[in-house]
This record gives sequence, C-alpha cells and structure tokens, in this order.
Amino acid sequence: MIGDYQGFVKNKVLTALLQAYQDILDYDGMKSILKEAEMMHLKDIREKDPNGSLDMFSFKKIISAQNCLLFDSNILLFEIGKLFSFYLFPFGKSLEEIIKDINTSITTDWKVEIIKNDNNEITIQVDKCIFCSEIGIPCDMFKGFLVNSLEKSLSSEFQVVYDKNAEDVDDPNHNTFTLQLKIKKSIK
Amino acid sequence: MAKTKKWALKLTVLGDSAVGKTSLINKYITDSFSSDYQPTLGVNILTKDLRFEDNNSEIRLLLWDLAGQDKYELTRKMFFQGSVGSLLIYDKTRYSTFERISSKWLKDFKEYGRPDGVYILIGNKLDLKDTVKISSEEGRKLADEINAADFIETSAKYGENVEGAFEKLVYHVINMKSEKKT
Repeated sequence: MIGDYQGFVKNKVLTALLQAYQDILDYDGMKSILKEAEMMHLKDIREKDPNGSLDMFSFKKIISAQNCLLFDSNILLFEIGKLFSFYLFPFGKSLEEIIKDINTSITTDWKVEIIKNDNNEITIQVDKCIFCSEIGIPCDMFKGFLVNSLEKSLSSEFQVVYDKNAEDVDDPNHNTFTLQLKIKKSIK
Repeated sequence: MAKTKKWALKLTVLGDSAVGKTSLINKYITDSFSSDYQPTLGVNILTKDLRFEDNNSEIRLLLWDLAGQDKYELTRKMFFQGSVGSLLIYDKTRYSTFERISSKWLKDFKEYGRPDGVYILIGNKLDLKDTVKISSEEGRKLADEINAADFIETSAKYGENVEGAFEKLVYHVINMKSEKKT
C-alpha cells in the first residue's frame, strides 16, 4: 500500500462495512479481510468503541485488503457496497443527506458531490474515491453504495439504473469519476 | 532491468463439508494441520505469493476456500466470479463426497465460474488407509470422465502431494492463459 493517508474515519463507517462483509462473505470472509489488513483487533469495534474514530491509514489498509482479496469479484464488491449503505444509513435519509454525512464521516482528501439533479436523473461526482484508489480495481463497491443510497429513498415501484461504462482501471486517476443514476419505474 | 510482471489468480477450493479443503490450504500456506474440525463459515480467503525467476514474474494466488454446507448455496454462486481454476476435492473414505464431484461441484464451477476455468481432481485423506472407500483407479477414471487437467491424491495431515496439487493447478492455469494468447 503506497501513499500518505491523512484524516480519520468515524467508527460507525467501519462497523457498517464489517457488517456488510459479514452478510455477504460470512464470518470467516470478514475475518479474512481483517487478517490480510493486519487489523484483527478492530473485529469487535462496534461493542468496544462505537462512537470513536479510526485513522485513515488503518482504514485504508482494510480497503486495500478488501480490494486485494476480492480482485476480479466485482459483483461481490457491488453487493457489499449496497449493504454498506444499508447499515451506515438504515433509514430516513435522503441521498443529499447521505452524501453530506459520508463526506464528514470520512474526512480525508476526497469529495463526493451531486452535480446535477433533474428529478429522474442524478449525476454524482466522486473525486479521489478512497474505495478504489489502487490501479486495477474498479469502483463497484462505492457505486453499489450510491445506487442503494438513492434506491432506498424511493418507493418500491421505482428502481435505480446506472451507466455501466467500462472503467479504465489502469489509469491512475480512475478513482475520480462521475456516476449517472437514473430512476426508472420497475416492470412488474 | 526488465520490469517484473505481476498477476493475481483467483482459485477456488471446492468439495463437500469436511473433505479437508481448509486443511489442505493451511498445510500449503503455513505447513500446519489441526485434527479439530471447524467448519468454514462462508468463505475463507488466503493469499500466497509465488515468484518465477525464469520469466521474471510474480503471481499472487487468491485461494477461496468455500464452505461446503448446503446452507451457503445462494451466496456461494457469487463467490465463483473470476475463478480461473479449481481444486475439486473428495474424501477417499466417504463415497458420497466422490459422487458429488460431478453432480454438484463441477457443475457449479462450470455454471458460475469462468467457462475456460481449469480444474484438478483431488482425493484427500490418503493417510486413512484402513478406511479407504474409493480406490486410486476409480479416482483416475473419474478425472478422465470429467476432463480434469490432473488427478492427485493427497494427505493434508502429512503434507503428501499438497504443494504439488496447488502448483500443478497454477501450472495448468498459466498454460491455459498462454495458449489463449497465442
């Protein structure tokens, strides 16, 4: 892991992420990521220190371990991202509020911003996404997070589709991107 | 100096519960063995780095040890994505685990893994000689029938052929990849 990672992450972010790992990969899968990151001591952070915060370097070690172990597993990353949103913001928040909260819960050199909101089409700009800063890693996890964050604020007759343009994951700046989310009526 | 080529290979280890999947991986990675059986919950993912001096390359193996229990049926399908190779493992002392290689594990690997994925058939628990139910001939015959790239019998307890099993799988995956390039 190369880089100088300044900043902090609220423990509620890590708690939600670990819960998402556990739901998708089960207990041993969650432990595999923490072991790879050499962060096993954070396994019970929800019970030990739910309101504290974690340094960005430690958090980034977990994300790097996730991206290493889940290489070529973008469906899983997307599903983890969706559950990460579900556990971090379980109810009652709009997409705007979620984006405001994620920017303050993860304080570092990155930014998530809604740049266009035309009722059924929302464009989000992500600068220096911390979830996919490694070369070769697509940002399916954070896309899953954003898709679910919008979807859960809609009634069940609507769904969110997004632009699945191929990312150039070999571009060192691929973690700066825009994502277009479209709200469509579900076909029943 | 030429730049080192780096790759990552996702390999899955498949078979019924208690055939010795976790024990084989642990033996290969840490040279350890425990006779206490603890079922895997979901998936255990471990890494092993290999270096090949002759072509100046490094390979990181991502070893996915998938829980064998039926309750993981739904989530397991997602775990196959990107898997380029698999060890299909049965327990030489339990016939049902041998039968499920073609009726379950190979079927799943072909359906949810990569269509060009490579697989090796492994008969584990070679050390339990007195209770063996599946002969080496039967194992070899099944390997031929299912077009496995290789057939190896192993003992996770004593380490017999364990390293060779993983290395052969890597060898076959690399060969498959090189053939695709040419």
